[in-house]
Amino acid sequence: MTTITARPQQAANWKDQLNRPSVALIVGLAYIVCAVFLAEVTDRSSLWYPLANMIAVPIFFIAPLVVVSLNITRWLKIALLVIMLGLIMPIIGVANPTYLEIAIQVSIFAGLALGLNIVVGFAGLLDLGYVAFFAVGAYLWAVFTSPVDTVFMINGWTLPGEAFFIMIAIGVFGAAFVGILLGLPVLRLRGDYLAIVTLGFGEVVRMLVRNLDSPINFTNGAQGLYGVGSPPLPGFAIGFTTTIASAFGIRVDNPDAIAGQLMFYVIAIITLLVIILVCSRLKDSPIGRAWTAIREDEVAALAMGVPLVRMKLLAFASGAAFAGAIGVIYASKQTFIDPESFVLLQSISILAMVIVGGMGNIKGVILGAMIITIVDLSTLSNLSLQFNNFRNAGMLDIPPALEPAKYQPLVFGLILVLMMLFRPAGLLPEKSRKLELQAEKEDPLALPTEEPLEDAVLVDTSTPEER
Amino acid sequence: MLLEVNNLVKSFGGIRAVRDVSIGIQENSISAIIGPNGAGKTTFFNLLTGIYKPDSGTVTFDGKSLLGLRPDQVNKAGISRTFQSIRLFGNMTVLENVMVGMHTRLNISLWRTIIRPPSFGRQEEHVRQRATDLLRFVGLAGKGDELSRNLPYGDQRRIEIARALASDPKLILLDEPTAGMNPQESEEAMSLFRKIRDEVGVTVVLIEHDMRVVMGISEHIDVLDYGQKIAEGTPDEIRSNPQVIEAYLGKRASGTGSNAEANDDSAA
Amino acid sequence: MSTDTLMPERSGLLSPITSSPTWIRFSHTALYRYVIFPLGQIFVFVVGAALLLTVISYVIAFLFPEPRENINLVTQLNRQLPGMIISGISIGFVYAMIALGYTLVYGVLKFINFAHSEIFMVGSVSAFAILSFIGSLGGLEGWNPILLVVVTVALSAVLSGLLAVGIERVAYKPLRRAPRLVPLITAIGISYILQDVVRAIASLTINDFNLTYPTRDLDWIRNPILTLTFGEYDVRVRTTSVIIIIAAIIMLLALNYFVNGTKSGRGIRAISMDQTTAGLMGIPVNLMISLTFFIGGAFGGAAGALFGLNVGNVTPYIGFFPGLKAFTAAVLGGIGNITGALLGGILIGMIESFLNGILVYFPAVGIRYTDIITFGILIAVLIFRPSGLLGERVDEKV
Repeated sequence: MTTITARPQQAANWKDQLNRPSVALIVGLAYIVCAVFLAEVTDRSSLWYPLANMIAVPIFFIAPLVVVSLNITRWLKIALLVIMLGLIMPIIGVANPTYLEIAIQVSIFAGLALGLNIVVGFAGLLDLGYVAFFAVGAYLWAVFTSPVDTVFMINGWTLPGEAFFIMIAIGVFGAAFVGILLGLPVLRLRGDYLAIVTLGFGEVVRMLVRNLDSPINFTNGAQGLYGVGSPPLPGFAIGFTTTIASAFGIRVDNPDAIAGQLMFYVIAIITLLVIILVCSRLKDSPIGRAWTAIREDEVAALAMGVPLVRMKLLAFASGAAFAGAIGVIYASKQTFIDPESFVLLQSISILAMVIVGGMGNIKGVILGAMIITIVDLSTLSNLSLQFNNFRNAGMLDIPPALEPAKYQPLVFGLILVLMMLFRPAGLLPEKSRKLELQAEKEDPLALPTEEPLEDAVLVDTSTPEER
Repeated sequence: MLLEVNNLVKSFGGIRAVRDVSIGIQENSISAIIGPNGAGKTTFFNLLTGIYKPDSGTVTFDGKSLLGLRPDQVNKAGISRTFQSIRLFGNMTVLENVMVGMHTRLNISLWRTIIRPPSFGRQEEHVRQRATDLLRFVGLAGKGDELSRNLPYGDQRRIEIARALASDPKLILLDEPTAGMNPQESEEAMSLFRKIRDEVGVTVVLIEHDMRVVMGISEHIDVLDYGQKIAEGTPDEIRSNPQVIEAYLGKRASGTGSNAEANDDSAA
Repeated sequence: MSTDTLMPERSGLLSPITSSPTWIRFSHTALYRYVIFPLGQIFVFVVGAALLLTVISYVIAFLFPEPRENINLVTQLNRQLPGMIISGISIGFVYAMIALGYTLVYGVLKFINFAHSEIFMVGSVSAFAILSFIGSLGGLEGWNPILLVVVTVALSAVLSGLLAVGIERVAYKPLRRAPRLVPLITAIGISYILQDVVRAIASLTINDFNLTYPTRDLDWIRNPILTLTFGEYDVRVRTTSVIIIIAAIIMLLALNYFVNGTKSGRGIRAISMDQTTAGLMGIPVNLMISLTFFIGGAFGGAAGALFGLNVGNVTPYIGFFPGLKAFTAAVLGGIGNITGALLGGILIGMIESFLNGILVYFPAVGIRYTDIITFGILIAVLIFRPSGLLGERVDEKV
């Protein structure tokens, strides 16, 4: 067996670079500059605004991740994060609610990506229908709180917003249950077949949701459910908003709406933090090791006593549970959901986040979620705006049909293909994962033998005499 | 009799891989199963450990039947194994490989993994400690944090053995554990097998091709050829058994029946 | 890829005939092996599927005689049966041709080419472009229909085939040794790229992505080519259905000859069984793989062109559902097995056609459930019989 020397130097390099004081200082300054920019500069028609925005937004949002990677004491890290997420973000959000929206979306999709990461990254099961669990959570909350006359509305009574947090728990268990139901028949299938079956399931769930509006109206079909309930706004939220607004001289037209967004921001961040905690605890435990063993070599794991079906179901159910909880939050925030929110593209997007960021690696997955969400929500539209500004200023004239914002699927596809060709293990791969996904490429002559070629082949020196 | 196998039969399509094999293994012994390549030895192990289902026959271990059990259930019942082609979890560290082996003996609970009561930490510490002890036992002390795929071949075999011992088995099945080893490594392996029997009290069954190892440590040998058991007995008995010699070296060789041939490596 | 089911030896029932010397001589002639036997096989599949579905339908009709007021299911069935069968055959052949693309690539590389559905779409869009171009040269009316169809389908097929080869070279070949997850994701990415590129080109050139075929208003397309009379009922057979059936049969015969009767075809089969050894035996592996992709892509593209002619307008997004259904067909028949793709396609086409015909009368259900049922079949096959109807089971050696 040819021994492959790992390349620890390269993997650790960027982290070392990051921890050099000069670099950390530059990053910190950049963050502050971007934060100020996002808060103060709002004139979208100013010529270079979109480009500057395109650069500032990613820096601003990825900065917390950078802080986590720094080599500083834990307390300092926590303090910095609290300031960044708990103080600076809300202030910027009040000044410009668009960024609050981005923050919420990033948190939601990071949570989803982490859930899928348990299935794909930890246990190695390719699930292309993950969005179905998301839909379960969302619709569970929506059918009971929407004023639409579905079968769940008894005598015009809907669930009050206070039930939100209980419903999150119900969403967790409901989605986990569906996960087990789906997993049972399916988990003994091999890689690509599992992928296709889960894809089929995801589509079936979506089509069922779209069609279950007659003869009995379960889901209101393609029209979706509007007026989805929200948790009650805490009293201090509006006060908080107006205080910030007056303290920084920001004009706020609709404090209620912004307070509502702030509340969802807090809910989303806290949920994300809980998910991160649960994921890291799962990873560093006998369960996590069992999953890695299954991913590496199922048969050997089985022979070593790892109950395959139970462990795979556990992975499936855990991932589903996260999606269920987040589904409730999502439905509540959007106040309107329909089957189109749960198409295949969503499952693939979430998968892309896991892959781009680094399968199995919690930080990597969050980074992947940030990148894909920011590209989707900010970068492409900014690019379009920039071209627009160029055109208005008489500089570059790019026809409207070539507007980048319209090319989201193309960009997405390119990201997937390029990542797979050049960095299949993701941007922040687990050290071992990098070797796992690349070793085959480095060693095209590796014969699948066990006999080492260096150690002499058979045990020895004496040979049977020729007769 | 710790393990009693009676009239085991397994066919794949038209090929009868194991035909009416009956083997008995005594507790606290080191036994070997030998035979030319393709004789059905690994298939036999796979049948014992639940990877294949036998067409007919019985397998009784420690008084209980193993028929119909899944491999992980067989492991839990007390039988562990290594593989002919090393099947380590290459991208996990050496220590982690051994820790996985302990899975069946642990209290695995999703709740406790998430909530982390003190008992969880205590169990993790125990797992780590035992894995470290096992590594020391097989001679790999200090290598726990290396990536297992980076270790040389001989060490990888040891990791597999440590991993198999982690589940606290009563019986350990080693499939060609000394393949690819030089004479010195084989000697070390042999004393490790003896250590396993004597210090840990685990019964050892080997599939082996290296006759020096087989003759050197086995108390009892079963010989398979073309899926059938053709002989069993002590090393001396097997050495001079004409059918065994014929199976390995061909009809002409059995005519001379000299000890020298049987001592050499099998002409596989 | 097992093609030995195409060989005639497995007919136990007919042994008195099959063991006679004249038969043995005849059964080895090229005419038999490459024309009569495959035609017979197609015929058997079609008739068998039609019979099966007919029986099931009448059973349902007897169980639910009046699913809606004033609707007698049996009478409706009587009237619609021939139409359902014919459209089942034509859509079935389309699915079979797409399925061939999936199964050929899977047989050779053990890889599901997710982007194949977009190759189908590109075929239909190419046909649109070709027809529009020809039309702009001076109208389509004057053209000989057969010539027009042949040129369009052939060109679309070639273009799609080349596109498939290009994708393979650029995106799949570097990943041949990577774990299966990686090329699968790549294929998904290519799917989205193709969809968006086609949309972009369409919106840049004609400012619309709903592409209506200029042939839609031609006389010979709109008027049924023949009208069959069954008792009191008339069945109008569309020209495009006949075109699809004839084109598909010709291409299937050609494929059968290629795979079983030519050196390259044998090369491809060898690679699908053991790539390394085939390479060691002197077979140019990369060339054969490219050839496989070309053929698969050509079939997909031809299917796209025929589909477009039949339906009349296409969009960049028409690839997804037919692709998934064709994949279901390939899996149902036994992925990797060419005959299986044919059988699966015909079955899925028939099932869809019959479901569409019958479910209309069940107001609670409606035809919206046709797709759900088809996917249900996919899931059921993968769970209960992943090797499909004609496939082989492969066990892992421990």
